[in-house]
Amino acid sequence: MRIYLPTLIVILIVQSAAMETAIAQNSGPITVPGSRPNIQLVAPLASGQWTMPAGDYGNTRFSPLDSINTRNVQNLHVVTTTSTGIPHGHEGQPLVVNNTLYIVTPFPNNLIALDLTKPGFPQKWIFRPNPDIRSVGIACCDIVNRGASFADGKIIYNTLDAHTLAVDANTGKEIWRTAVGDIKIGETTTMAPVVVRNMVYAGISGGELGVRGRLIAMDLKSGKILWRAWNSGSDADALIGPNFKPFYAKDQGKDLGLSTWTPGQWKLGGGPVWGWISYDPELNLIYYGTGNPGVWNADMRPGDNKWSITIWARDPESGQAKWAYQVVAHDAWDYDEIMENILVDMPWQGRQRKLLLHPGRTGFMFVLDRESGEVLSAEKYEPVNWANSYNLKTGLPDENPEKRTHAGQYATHICPSSTGGKDFIPSAFSPRTGLLYIPAHNTCMDYEGTAVNYIAGTPYLGASVRMYPGPGGYQGELVAWDVAQAKKVWSVKDIDLPVYSGVLATGGDLVFYGTMEGWFRALDAHTGKVLWEFKTASGIIGDPITFSGPDGKQYVAIYSGIGGWMGATALPDVSTDDPYATLGATGAMKKIKTLTQPGDLLYVFGY
Amino acid sequence: MRLTVILAIVGVLGVASCNRSTRSAAQGSAAPIQANVGPIPGGLEGVNARLNPYATDAVALQDGRRLFDWYNCSGCHGGHAGGGMGPSLRDETWIYGNHDSQIFDSIAQGRSKGMPAWGTKIPEDQIWQLVAYIKSMRTPEEPDPPVEPADEMVGGPGPDSPVEPSPHNP
Repeated sequence: MRIYLPTLIVILIVQSAAMETAIAQNSGPITVPGSRPNIQLVAPLASGQWTMPAGDYGNTRFSPLDSINTRNVQNLHVVTTTSTGIPHGHEGQPLVVNNTLYIVTPFPNNLIALDLTKPGFPQKWIFRPNPDIRSVGIACCDIVNRGASFADGKIIYNTLDAHTLAVDANTGKEIWRTAVGDIKIGETTTMAPVVVRNMVYAGISGGELGVRGRLIAMDLKSGKILWRAWNSGSDADALIGPNFKPFYAKDQGKDLGLSTWTPGQWKLGGGPVWGWISYDPELNLIYYGTGNPGVWNADMRPGDNKWSITIWARDPESGQAKWAYQVVAHDAWDYDEIMENILVDMPWQGRQRKLLLHPGRTGFMFVLDRESGEVLSAEKYEPVNWANSYNLKTGLPDENPEKRTHAGQYATHICPSSTGGKDFIPSAFSPRTGLLYIPAHNTCMDYEGTAVNYIAGTPYLGASVRMYPGPGGYQGELVAWDVAQAKKVWSVKDIDLPVYSGVLATGGDLVFYGTMEGWFRALDAHTGKVLWEFKTASGIIGDPITFSGPDGKQYVAIYSGIGGWMGATALPDVSTDDPYATLGATGAMKKIKTLTQPGDLLYVFGY
Repeated sequence: MRLTVILAIVGVLGVASCNRSTRSAAQGSAAPIQANVGPIPGGLEGVNARLNPYATDAVALQDGRRLFDWYNCSGCHGGHAGGGMGPSLRDETWIYGNHDSQIFDSIAQGRSKGMPAWGTKIPEDQIWQLVAYIKSMRTPEEPDPPVEPADEMVGGPGPDSPVEPSPHNP
């Protein structure tokens, strides 16, 4: 067991050229200049480079860079665009390491390296992994990829056909490739792997196909699988041992991953890991959430269905669980809780605490103590009626029984829809404002459980779902959430479409995000005023990043390419006269075909 | 009433080949078929073009609709085949052709981007029922056509929803 000495470091590096790809793993929390009192973040932050999916282990997506700021953002202009050649959903974000920008495309998951030292950022090389084409029809929600990590001279990323790859960051040559799943039983990979020290972490997708979800740890040098932490089955399979101390009684007990299922159903138990992974170097814990339980028809799987829809804290080396919090037991709505877990140290009701912020698909904004797993707050940030509130003493929601779905009849007017108050698209937190910027949407649904057969490699759904815009006359909303006050302070609404892009917050007090119509915007981080916007070629569902170029100037980059679950209706393969198409999302997204078309571009902006 | 007429299929299917040696070997056999080489898998009319024995039989359409859920077709192609993991089957685009036999072959043989080869699992008569249902989409004969929710903006706020009431739902 290592000992981490908390050290207060205030480092602001704006020149990337000379900067090493430092991944300081022993440092304690840091204070950003201009922060609200006693707000501290996990070091190091994305400053100059962007070496991991969220930019930082704490998943704040905050960069201290401030050359572009509220006073000069109106001068922002396109520096270059690059086509990936794949007109499908461009989720995730590029990396910037050693004056090179790396793009992972949607399937076939090519890795493109751009040279930032030359005008126009020309291509250095392209690596084509040639994944199995059958994975295209096995992935649930378009053929997306959420990005890569850089470590040890390697770019690490996943291909849709359930493999994790390491590619030499200089030469573009493959170093290793590991099968982390099997497409023949419905397993694909869309998430962005994360590296801590000498280990790579990846998870599988496939909650709609009866997979058995897990996190997989691999050796960074060789790709060898070191352990798997399963989200159903015995404690041994879940890597639950003597150090497991869940906060709530409901999550305590032996072999809950077996006993909370009918016999055998746990083998198709779902709980995929397709979202974001956080890491706290000081506590030496990784955090991530799990997806929906296997088969959407809840009546087919009586029990709490652990460990679906659960937030985990684990030791990164052994994989052993420290705590778990099941956000929703016996899910009946497809409320995956694979959302980002944002790590912030700040005063909470008069006491400095280590928080985990989790804007939930359930429509509740959760604040947890990340040392213990205690829920400190759960407040609605979009219209929610499946539950009235959360009991912080028991960790259980006060459910509205009318909105719990069953087989054979439609439960109607459920808010939010399966796509959530937000989906996987990541929020950003600024220590300078104390605000969390949540890319949210307001969509409701009718949902009926239906009979279904398990046929390996095909959907194991058992639900008929149709979605539609929620109340209030808007569908998308960028919500600024005051963490300390646990309330919305302002928002920017989109009438027609969800907000389905990630968010970036900067030291220049700007908040960047995109709309599904294709607008890329910079807001004043304090007030929400739109200070600058640019219409890109296609709808935006990617995550903005910022970096310092070899010239010392600050740049901002974003993908423009509509798709993903909610954006798939814009693709030519989907018909809008079936509201049940794309797992029911098409009902809410009919307008999108009239507002944007598929695209495949990276935009880089400078001033 | 189910139609039981099975069209006779032309049994001889010559394979045009560019290979010099096989061509010379074939020269002494039956006359080559005069149809053009089709651009789409499944053949052209007149060549291996089977018609659906069920055609638009109402019972077969109902059976096809039920089987579309039973074999998880709806999970991929959408509740009423509007698309999702697999492409829409409602629209005007037919990647592998819209002749009965071409749709049959797509189901039975599978297609490259993840469409399983169902011929090993689904009996032939049920595949034809699925073909009948697929071809009925957007026609007056379509069984159980998709139903839109009663109106837009119907998601009523919960008892303590934090947002202002919808103008559509006061």
